[in-house]
Amino acid sequence: MFKKILIANRGEIAVRIIKACRELGIKSVAIFSEVDKNALHVRIADEAYLIGHSPANESYLNKEKIIDLAKKVTAEAIHPGYGFLSENAEFIKLVEDNGIVFIGPSSKSVEMMGEKTAARKLMKQNNVPIVPGTIEPLNDFKEGIQIANEIGYPIMLKAASGGGGKGMRKVYNDNEFEDAFTRAQNESLKAFGKSEVYIEKLILNPKHIEVQILADKYGNYIHLFERECSVQRRHQKVIEEAPSIFVDDETRTKITEAAIKAAKACNYYNAGTIEFLLDRNKNFYFLEMNTRLQVEHPVTEMITGVDLVKQQIKIAANLKLDIAQSDLKINGHAIECRIYAEDVDNNFAPSTGKIIHHRLTSGPGTRIDRGIDLMSEVPIYYDPLLSKVTTWGKNREEAIARMKRALIEYQISGVITNIPAFNWVLKQKTFLDGSFDINFLDNEFLPLVPSKWKENSTKEIEAIAAIVGALLKEKETSSALTKNEVAISNKWFNQNYE
Amino acid sequence: MNEYVISINNRKYSGVINNDGTVELDGRKVRAEISQINKYAFLLKLDDKPYEIVCNKLDNGNYGLLLEGWYFETTVRTKLQETAAELMKHKSKGSRKSVFKAPMPGLVLKIKKQEGEYVKIGEPLIILEAMKMENELRSTAEGTITSIHISEGSSVEKDAIILTIE
Repeated sequence: MFKKILIANRGEIAVRIIKACRELGIKSVAIFSEVDKNALHVRIADEAYLIGHSPANESYLNKEKIIDLAKKVTAEAIHPGYGFLSENAEFIKLVEDNGIVFIGPSSKSVEMMGEKTAARKLMKQNNVPIVPGTIEPLNDFKEGIQIANEIGYPIMLKAASGGGGKGMRKVYNDNEFEDAFTRAQNESLKAFGKSEVYIEKLILNPKHIEVQILADKYGNYIHLFERECSVQRRHQKVIEEAPSIFVDDETRTKITEAAIKAAKACNYYNAGTIEFLLDRNKNFYFLEMNTRLQVEHPVTEMITGVDLVKQQIKIAANLKLDIAQSDLKINGHAIECRIYAEDVDNNFAPSTGKIIHHRLTSGPGTRIDRGIDLMSEVPIYYDPLLSKVTTWGKNREEAIARMKRALIEYQISGVITNIPAFNWVLKQKTFLDGSFDINFLDNEFLPLVPSKWKENSTKEIEAIAAIVGALLKEKETSSALTKNEVAISNKWFNQNYE
Repeated sequence: MNEYVISINNRKYSGVINNDGTVELDGRKVRAEISQINKYAFLLKLDDKPYEIVCNKLDNGNYGLLLEGWYFETTVRTKLQETAAELMKHKSKGSRKSVFKAPMPGLVLKIKKQEGEYVKIGEPLIILEAMKMENELRSTAEGTITSIHISEGSSVEKDAIILTIE
């Protein structure tokens, strides 16, 4: 087993990995940018090193610096977390070439799955169903329009090297095509360094279902069932759960088999996720493979009892899988809410600032993965994910009831969070009966933004807030106390009427 | 006895704080007691119901309040301050100029409108790249664009004035 691991990431996932290292008796090495010098992942690591300036490309994306540091501090392995360099085949190659173990798949597998069109081709060859569309990148928008007419609108433009909703555009007709094509290309270039995009037919109202797999370096493959991640805004997942109540046993058997086939097709080892779209008739289509740990991995851990991060480390250390498929069963139900620093009613603007108050939720079936603590900075440079609240219940109803309870207990001040929006989601009929698809938030929530979504639920609480306001003002006027020097800065549309 | 006007979500409440430990909100009377737990956390008791509150005093004298999983921004004024504020508002009603500011630092990718164009609420104005995403910023005011203060390809700081709508 490794003695020391460098974690090439920040935030909640770096913290999560450090916890796994500690449990395995491995020393953890954190890296941090200037703005992160007091971040939680730095506070709890065994060692922590400044890696560069605050912008990600000067710190968490600086391949050479990270590898040099790993060698200098004699870390035998690097865990990339998710995002940043986790799916960067060039980085993984560099790690391998420097005699360091990458905690994840081989650069070759990542390459095979990273280029989305090539991955689609590979899946087709291996009888994993794919969404109709091109298996080559488009040359120009004119060719795109021609293909779009062949497969029929609406279509999706997607970044060939993409993921995470970036470089992705829906197109409904010829007129929209050129503009969407240019923007998808630009966004793709910014996010992934390549502007190539391809076409997929838009599957109407599908669910996003993904399968977690684990594989060791000896050809043993297991799956850890599915996750339901259809609650999304602009292709960014917001709530995930496991299992999916829409997936029956028969579908589960088929989709997990397809996932294993997909993993085998690229000689995969370590933890990976195969994403599918599932239509109303329970037909499923390969979307992409995420060759890394997922943000939403806790829901799988909660229903299987498997510690995925520890498994990742063991697999990387050349150990054989110590779990057989027959050992695994679905136990209960788990739900995760991603807590973002964003102001929902101000166009979901990221909210930056300093965490001045933070009280965690706790209690039965409650888990928090977090990257913040008191006085943490929430900087503009990175993803605005603050923490993840995951609840487990013996069934979905209990998991949801626990989530509602947990979110009321959870207090964060200093930045504005999206916690109130979950109050809305968690009581919608569409969510509760499981009929929601990936357009749920776009169709039902976004039209109610700003403010309308909370009108009905907050009347009484608003009156209480008014009383609090009056009492605080009275207190302040009479004693001039409670002067807080930290201000929330978040105004997306700051309208001044002069 | 002190009287306050509390504004939340464009609604106004009248709050009277009596010396006998009661509060009247829009005429509804309750016993109210607030204790400070730490700098930001408070415990409110209304009659016999406790509520946990987190309060962050915002820079412009407003309060950001967190309770029961909801967040409110409130402006509280004494009756006198409120009358003064109302007066100011009426005075300035003549010109309905609205300044559109950058919500956060970013790179201006595209300006979708020109000076002199008439825009409605919700119409896309510019595309700002921030946090690796292209964000379409939409107008929150209706009127004619009288001036544009930035150009495509330029970086803007938070709160930089992007354009003016009249």
